[in-house]
Amino acid sequence: MTQALILEHLTAHYGTTKVLDDLSLTVPAGELVSLLGASGCGKTTTLRLVAGFLDPTAGTITLGGKDLTRLPAHKRDIGLVFQSYALFPHLTVAENVAFGLKQRGVATAVRTKRTAAMLARVGLDHLADRLPGALSGGQRQRVALARALVIEPPLLMFDEPLSNLDARLRLEMRAEIRTLQRANGTTSVFVTHDQEEAFSISDRVAIMHAGRIMQFDTPETLYQCPANAFVAGFVGFENLLPLAVTARDGAQVTASANGVALTLSQTDFGAIPDHFTLATRPEGLVLADKGIPARLGLRTYLGRAYQYVCDTPLGQMLATGPLTAPREPGQTVHLAPEPAQCCILPPE
Amino acid sequence: MRSSVPLPLIAFAVLVYLFLMGPLVIVFGAALSDTSYLTFPPKGLTLHWFWQIWEIGAFRRTIVTSLQIAFLATALALLIGIPAAYALNRYRIQLPGWLSTLFVLPVLVPEIVLGFSLLRSVAVGSDLPIFATLLMGHTLIVLPYCVRVVSASLASFDFAIEEAAVSLGSPPLKTFFTIVLPNIRAGVIAAFILAFITSVNDVSVSLFLTGPGVSTLPIQILAHVEQFFDPVVASVSVLLMLLTVAVMAVVERTLGLTFLAK
Amino acid sequence: MRRLTGWMLSLPALALVVACLILPVGATILATFAEPGGPFAPYVAFFNSGFRRTVLWRTLEIATITTLVSLVVGFLTAFVVSRAPPRWRSILIIAAVFPLLTGVVVRSFAWLIVLGKNGILNSFLLWVGVVDAPLSMLYTQGSVIVAMVYLFVPLMILTLVGVLEGIPDDLLQAAASLGATPAATFRQVVFPLAVPGLIVGAVLVFTGSFTAYATPQLLGGERQMVMGTLLHQRAMVAFDWAGASTVAAIMVVVTILVVLGMTRVAKRLNPMAT
Repeated sequence: MTQALILEHLTAHYGTTKVLDDLSLTVPAGELVSLLGASGCGKTTTLRLVAGFLDPTAGTITLGGKDLTRLPAHKRDIGLVFQSYALFPHLTVAENVAFGLKQRGVATAVRTKRTAAMLARVGLDHLADRLPGALSGGQRQRVALARALVIEPPLLMFDEPLSNLDARLRLEMRAEIRTLQRANGTTSVFVTHDQEEAFSISDRVAIMHAGRIMQFDTPETLYQCPANAFVAGFVGFENLLPLAVTARDGAQVTASANGVALTLSQTDFGAIPDHFTLATRPEGLVLADKGIPARLGLRTYLGRAYQYVCDTPLGQMLATGPLTAPREPGQTVHLAPEPAQCCILPPE
Repeated sequence: MRSSVPLPLIAFAVLVYLFLMGPLVIVFGAALSDTSYLTFPPKGLTLHWFWQIWEIGAFRRTIVTSLQIAFLATALALLIGIPAAYALNRYRIQLPGWLSTLFVLPVLVPEIVLGFSLLRSVAVGSDLPIFATLLMGHTLIVLPYCVRVVSASLASFDFAIEEAAVSLGSPPLKTFFTIVLPNIRAGVIAAFILAFITSVNDVSVSLFLTGPGVSTLPIQILAHVEQFFDPVVASVSVLLMLLTVAVMAVVERTLGLTFLAK
Repeated sequence: MRRLTGWMLSLPALALVVACLILPVGATILATFAEPGGPFAPYVAFFNSGFRRTVLWRTLEIATITTLVSLVVGFLTAFVVSRAPPRWRSILIIAAVFPLLTGVVVRSFAWLIVLGKNGILNSFLLWVGVVDAPLSMLYTQGSVIVAMVYLFVPLMILTLVGVLEGIPDDLLQAAASLGATPAATFRQVVFPLAVPGLIVGAVLVFTGSFTAYATPQLLGGERQMVMGTLLHQRAMVAFDWAGASTVAAIMVVVTILVVLGMTRVAKRLNPMAT
């Protein structure tokens, strides 16, 4: 029953603007994959292409081996949960949920039974006869979810489904979506701009930028080993240091730029190419006796440590210092990378 | 972009628009015909009939009257309509709800009944000149447009701005002209245009209030068509369409044409 | 104090409406009850006259047909307009506003040229060879209805475009994603949500065509007399003011009944009413 979604070489335009550029992606059967990126990155366009609301200028979309590319939207059999929920305001909760079954010609008795069962599953059986206008945001979200699930689609897609909820409900619905998705084993695509949301519920995440997928991996890999500067910046590697190797001594490599030399060990990082970018999170660049000379600027208190804005010969950096020894702005210090919080990126 | 509208429906809409535009194009063509009767497609081309408008005194006079009435009626209706619209919005809680309904009554009551009633009660038995009763009737029928359109733009006006100005020491009347009016400019312009064009095109009220020597253009057109079937009326119609175009151009310049879409 | 300011500002407009509308129209209607021969004598006379009954019936018939045709044509067209790309949408809306701002007289007159003996339609029919002699299409009920539909379709389009634009694309896409064909979406989602707009449009068109004067005068003439032209004829040709007042009163009553009736229907049909 579970089916893989395969997108191959998808290109899409709005008018003459290219919004999706030769995008290929495989969503393995039964997995939940998030499309993550800022607005305008093409994530929603991708979803609309798969749903059939937009035609690609090139490329193919297959679901479970069936080519969907030219199929009209109403024949695709995809469960969609909209950001606006898109509940039919003139139909009751039960009628909303039964809508898809009705289109499929499911007999009235069966329809009523399945609708009731689905409403019970999302905990809304007591609101079956209400109109959507009388529901809270969280309840509407549940109706939207029930409406998409009841048709038992081989593919579920969510378009920023949680962005209209408050923080507490967001966490609750997130868990609920994941639980329902796991239970059914339905292949799912989840579009969001919220990194925490994407990482917490997905099997895999595709980070998108300017109509391309920058990296497609498990959340763990993305978080620890970004493949490029864009993804590194996206997952919090704030400091990017472009360096060139000047000397190699066994596992020890000396690299420098702008008169600053750093010694790194290949046992920490694996093979280091001649030109590379060292990316660190703020907590991966610590105050030390030697390393990159830096002049301290603004200090902010983060609870577990102090963070400093620093001016260095390699540009402005964010560094971390211990709570035990606060430093004042204007002081000159050195910064050293903490290998566990750093990664090596190919040169730009 | 994938269209959600089926092709046959689009084809239908195209036909409807041809239906809407066709007769107006035909009037345009007929006005240029070099024949003494109305025909389309025009036989020969001439601007003679446009000169005829000027030659026929009745047309010349009614055009002037129509423009005078439209301008004055609109100005008067704005003069009394803007304060009313302001009061309806500013003192919403203090004023009864039926008041705003009252101001739209002139569009709810059949215009022809209104015209006849004004004739019965005001024109007959009073010494008011024809022009004055005509002006009164027109002010009345354009008032709803003024109150409604200005009200709509006041509804989105934040009265806190006005209160801010007053708290900074600006006197109420001055505040209205320096703070409120500039912010509802679009509404006032739109009201002016709607009212003006409504007055120029009015038939049902003018029908009863015109009299010897004083008539409006639409009434003159009706009278002319009953006797003659020549292209003069077509050319007058073209003039009226050009007025519409001019009005729409003014709207486009001041408010943007999307304003009309509302 | 604030209350007083509010009243003061509305006073001039209020005075105009009371003096020039409520009192005169009230007087017209009251006059029909003060005729010699009893309070309802003018109405008895009206309904006893076969001719005037025919006029009332004809007017109702023309208004009903005009409303129904305008509803169907306007609804389908407005749907296309509301779903057109933004650029086209503005063009189409402007193309509907233009005839609306062009006067009733001009637009009715246009149909004289189209439907007349030497009109374009007759020329076309003769040229094609469908007919041997020009048809007389003017001064028929059909000619009045065609011109009325022409008059009111733009109004219907503009009324409905506003309502239909308020239906988010999301809803149509949700319906499609749940397997609804475009026709099913139109029937089950678009139509029920447009009902309030359809009722507003129907009221506007019905009252407008029921009380029209210029169009039936130009295209129907004496032969197709309707309430509006009858009122004018009674008042200005026959100088029968009692008769004219009766016609006026009946027009007001029918208008009020239609507005109230349709508002009630609207309340019952409003899909969002709880």
